Amino acid sequence: MIDFSSPRHRSKFGYLLLAPAVLLMALIIIYPILLSVDISLQDVRIARVGADREAWTLKNYDWLFNSGEFWNAVWVTAKMVLTVGGISLVIGLATALLVNQRFRGRSLARLFVALPWAVPEVVATVIWAWMLDSSFGVINWLLLRAHLISEPIQFASNATAAFFAVCLVMIWKGYPLMSIMLLAGLQSIPEEQYQAARVDGANVWKRFIYVTLPNLAPVIGVTAVMTTLWVFRDFAIIYVLTQGGPIGGTTTLSILTFEQSFSFFKMGQGAAVGVVTMIICAVISRALVGRFASSAH
Amino acid sequence: MANIRFNNVQKSYGPFQAIRNFDLSVEDGDFCVFVGPSGCGKSTALKMLAGLEATSGGTIEIGGRDVTDLGPGKRDIAMVFQNYALYPHMTVRANIGFGLKMRNMDKAEINAKVEEAAAMLELTDYLDRRPRALSGGQRQRVALGRAIVREPSAFLMDEPLSNLDAKLRVQTRSEIVKLQKRLGVTTIYVTHDQVEALTMATKIVVMRGGVIQQIGTPEDLFETPANLFVAGFIGSPGMNFFRGPVEVENGRAVTRFGDQKVTLNVAPEKLSGTHAIFGIRPEHMVVGDTTMPGAPVALSLVESLGTEKILHFPTPKGQALEGDTGIEGSDDAERDAQTMLARVIDDRRYRDGETVHVALPEGKVHVFDPDSHVAL
Repeated sequence: MIDFSSPRHRSKFGYLLLAPAVLLMALIIIYPILLSVDISLQDVRIARVGADREAWTLKNYDWLFNSGEFWNAVWVTAKMVLTVGGISLVIGLATALLVNQRFRGRSLARLFVALPWAVPEVVATVIWAWMLDSSFGVINWLLLRAHLISEPIQFASNATAAFFAVCLVMIWKGYPLMSIMLLAGLQSIPEEQYQAARVDGANVWKRFIYVTLPNLAPVIGVTAVMTTLWVFRDFAIIYVLTQGGPIGGTTTLSILTFEQSFSFFKMGQGAAVGVVTMIICAVISRALVGRFASSAH
Repeated sequence: MANIRFNNVQKSYGPFQAIRNFDLSVEDGDFCVFVGPSGCGKSTALKMLAGLEATSGGTIEIGGRDVTDLGPGKRDIAMVFQNYALYPHMTVRANIGFGLKMRNMDKAEINAKVEEAAAMLELTDYLDRRPRALSGGQRQRVALGRAIVREPSAFLMDEPLSNLDAKLRVQTRSEIVKLQKRLGVTTIYVTHDQVEALTMATKIVVMRGGVIQQIGTPEDLFETPANLFVAGFIGSPGMNFFRGPVEVENGRAVTRFGDQKVTLNVAPEKLSGTHAIFGIRPEHMVVGDTTMPGAPVALSLVESLGTEKILHFPTPKGQALEGDTGIEGSDDAERDAQTMLARVIDDRRYRDGETVHVALPEGKVHVFDPDSHVAL
């Protein structure tokens, strides 16, 4: 009998406790990844686990890198990551700074800032879809009443309008997470650093540049990674709002994966898009996390 | 370099008065220490001087200029914080030079001044490190460097030594004093440690409950404490107290310590009541000299520090200072009213339970009013 409390065997006990979790992870994460890599290397239309396998081929990847659809999706995704990530960072930081101040009704303000995050994605998107509707939508009505536009914006048929409509909803849904994370980051900055900076003669703006931002850098890094991955992964908002249309104007990599697999039933090609997306995400998050971790104190 | 003046400064948080009628004048080049137990308002007073807290009343002057409504950056002061408040993402060089950079000084000039300050503090080898790669003592020196490089008219220090270990604290203490003497900059230093206050200050301000108890040199406070609180707070170990009757004999006031008559150095007409509180410092007790009038006491505990010994013995029956007198020991946690201490330096060996002769020399007994606790 092994005494697990002895110093020699303590680590074995640790591995034993970890084992169920590791096995579960392997089953629900590693196995599907391997499975999709496997499918992406086969020329199949409808993949069925246990069916006769096709021979491995690079045909799907060949299609991928030579098709306009894939490069369009990469371009749309990149634009969307930058637009959504950038704007929600600015709004998130602004709201976090706001609700970090002491004022009457601060807890209510914090609740409102976090509210969009709590609304289910599909529910929020359906509401926005109605608000953005070109015939009945309140947004077009408002813009018309304010004489900012002379005729309704066709959010469903104009590719640029559709792209920005999707970005708008994503920012609305995504900035609260930024805000919450940054607020936590702000609260962990020691008050003395601000006091020292004030005694050193730094004004509000300089305190923001030299104290707040550098102290927030690690949090901004982590949050940027999370938002980036979320935009890569998000399906519901785009699919409910535009289904990737018009003419691929909002087709991101995840929409393309779904389309290839379940609309066109080209699961080999869909899996190939998925695998490439996964590699891009891994590279981006590694780069961002590594960079911000080294800039952290 | 400048003098500092507080004119009837007040601070209240809602109904709570944190600082009351704070009047103080610090001369140019003084090393002034604010000392008191936690919550006495010493840090608040310093922050008001720094401009980090607003005053609720009164005015503050630095170098003859009313700074009450100026921001911290415009008061020409530098501050050292308890936890150093270094910017973790900047190198030591950038940390020290930050205040100069904020004042838009020329880069080469900043660099020269930073190098000079670093040399003074022996930080030259660490200029390109970040604070996290430094030891506590080095961080403390960086914080000092950030203050001296600005050449301000006053240094404000908020318990700068409390995060250091005991040995380093003693060492840094003397370094700060030497530095201050060399630069001649008026310094306000906040601490709860009366030993720091006594060893560093040219002027001490003892505070309690937002009110100044006494202002004076270390010698003043030690020899002529203004009241019972100051008497108990200053000195280590703290002053012994006992209650006693007041009688007049041959035109001189006397009291009793046990069976022993103690002649007092106070004019009898000052002692209006029938009894008073008396205090004597442990180092002023005379042990073993039977030629002096004294009382035999049984030692309950002997603490030996080598040649120096602290002798514990019970306060004479009925003379202990019971109840809430508002006295706080500064470093010993609880003051035990039932025990008195004598501090002796000799080579004689004392044993627990031994009976020794203790005398209270005439000039060394302090007398306090039993109600107001003011020294008489």
